[in-house]
Amino acid sequence: MQSVFDRRRINGPEDSSAPIFADEHQKSLTPDLYKDRHNRSVSDIRPIFLQPGLISQANGSAYIETDRTKIACSVYGPRQSKNTAYNEKGRLNVEVKFTPFSSERRRAPLRDAEDRSIAVAIQQALLSSVRLEHFPKSTIDIFLVIIEADGIEGCVASGSIAASTALADAGIDMYGLVTSCTAAIIGEDIWVDPTQEECDMANGTLILSCMPALGIVTNVWQSGRMAISQVSACLDACDGRCTDIHSVVAQALLNSARSKV
Amino acid sequence: MTSASISKAEKSYIQAGLLTSPPRRADGRSLHDFRAIYLETGVAPLSNGSARLSIGRNPLDGSGGTEVLAAVKLEVENIEEQTLDGGRIACNVSCSPSAYPHLSSGALDDLQHDLTTVLHQTLSHPSLHPKNLGIIPRKKSWLLNLDLLVTAEAGNIYDALFLAARAALWDTKVPRTRSVEYKSPKTFLSASGDMDVDQDTRSGFDTRHVAHATDFELPDYWDEGEILEGRERWPVAVTLNLLHTAHFLDATLQEEASCASRLLVVYSHESPTAYTIQSMRMLGSDELSIPHLKKLIKEAEGYTRSMATSLTTKLEDEDFRRNQKAREKFGRRK
Repeated sequence: MQSVFDRRRINGPEDSSAPIFADEHQKSLTPDLYKDRHNRSVSDIRPIFLQPGLISQANGSAYIETDRTKIACSVYGPRQSKNTAYNEKGRLNVEVKFTPFSSERRRAPLRDAEDRSIAVAIQQALLSSVRLEHFPKSTIDIFLVIIEADGIEGCVASGSIAASTALADAGIDMYGLVTSCTAAIIGEDIWVDPTQEECDMANGTLILSCMPALGIVTNVWQSGRMAISQVSACLDACDGRCTDIHSVVAQALLNSARSKV
Repeated sequence: MTSASISKAEKSYIQAGLLTSPPRRADGRSLHDFRAIYLETGVAPLSNGSARLSIGRNPLDGSGGTEVLAAVKLEVENIEEQTLDGGRIACNVSCSPSAYPHLSSGALDDLQHDLTTVLHQTLSHPSLHPKNLGIIPRKKSWLLNLDLLVTAEAGNIYDALFLAARAALWDTKVPRTRSVEYKSPKTFLSASGDMDVDQDTRSGFDTRHVAHATDFELPDYWDEGEILEGRERWPVAVTLNLLHTAHFLDATLQEEASCASRLLVVYSHESPTAYTIQSMRMLGSDELSIPHLKKLIKEAEGYTRSMATSLTTKLEDEDFRRNQKAREKFGRRK
């Protein structure tokens, strides 16, 4: 069977798996989610570290870290879009890349299937917040590199927060900051900001992206089996947490602006 | 999502028509009316289940409308991990270039990928998993490949895809399998030719012996088999096209282009009282508040319920037409 040979890199073996260490094996046999969620109640999010302005050659950038999700985002633009036809509104182009070491199983350095679905979700989250009518014929490029991933839902949420911070850092006109939060239904309870193991065990997950300053929802992504009442409850829980995250983002941008002066 | 490009004047004309009271649409429908839906099952004889669905086809010459062909093909695969003992579902949507003449091949690939992701993530979720896809426990199982082909697009593609998928899965028959065990032949090298009592002969009542099936055979012919389990659980989708004060269903291409955002909600109606949301996506760039969103989710439940009941009625009709009536017709010919 022919595999795709990447001439620019030294290709590893076609089939490989991570080694299993003795104590890790013990842990995986008895997953105890309640114990792993130490120091955190079911309605608390993990602490966020957010630093704008880390990549100096980009117009704007941000780095976000929450426990096991680490994403670096850079914004280039608005730049002239050379190849497309005249567009009176600007375009928002989001590209996501997973590094090969970002998850348990090595990801191919070439384009992966999951890249695009995360990019589409983040673009949907940011679309209503940027004043694109101010940039005709232009494109704003947002590049996200996921250094470590803790579940797809976590990546989408953290990615949209990082992207919105980077856009603000770049000084692009926006209606408001976009923040995102994830919730999962485990048993009968709603757990906010679930890790990958918790998402796998959940009946359903929901990602909410909104602009807390304006009270507008920009993106809802739900998957799995949930009743209408559970969806309502998740939306409310996420909404509350999004408002908390908004103050974190605003504080980080303020500190960064002060340090530049 | 790309759609027909229309001028601002036409956009505002369509929006004004939708927002007046009574609302006016180009073909005279009300806000919550669907175009005529044509459905036929069993269109691909080599597949295990198939359906062809079109929304809004011109009744005189059969042209126009959104048309989707769905087919299910079952393959045997070895179970590698201890994930699900009973098989796996893989969905794939391909868009024919004739349906999207204005898209480049790169954009067409992206569209295919997006449609596939929505369908695959919704339909392969463990909560919808049918229970009769296993063959030999922990060794072999069925891989259900659901392939959808969009041959024409005139708006409302998500609803058409989910309806066609449900119809094809309803029509699917899983071939029955019988496990086969291999026994080594009795050796003739028993020492001194003594009778080996009770060594190779086992009583049928001996339940201590655990059967280790290593292979299987198919007692059915290829178009027989048992129905795929969990038919009522397969979900139905509705796309609510959002305007500031109202929402409408089943948009044509021009209406989709004049509407800034859409909400896709997928419900599974297992029984009249038990319904759950299987998937939800927002597409577009308009504003939506949380109370408004909750209201839309509730209304979507009513729409999908009526879609699911009429689809089930039609599918049962189709079953009857192909099986019962065909048998009667052949019976009469003798």
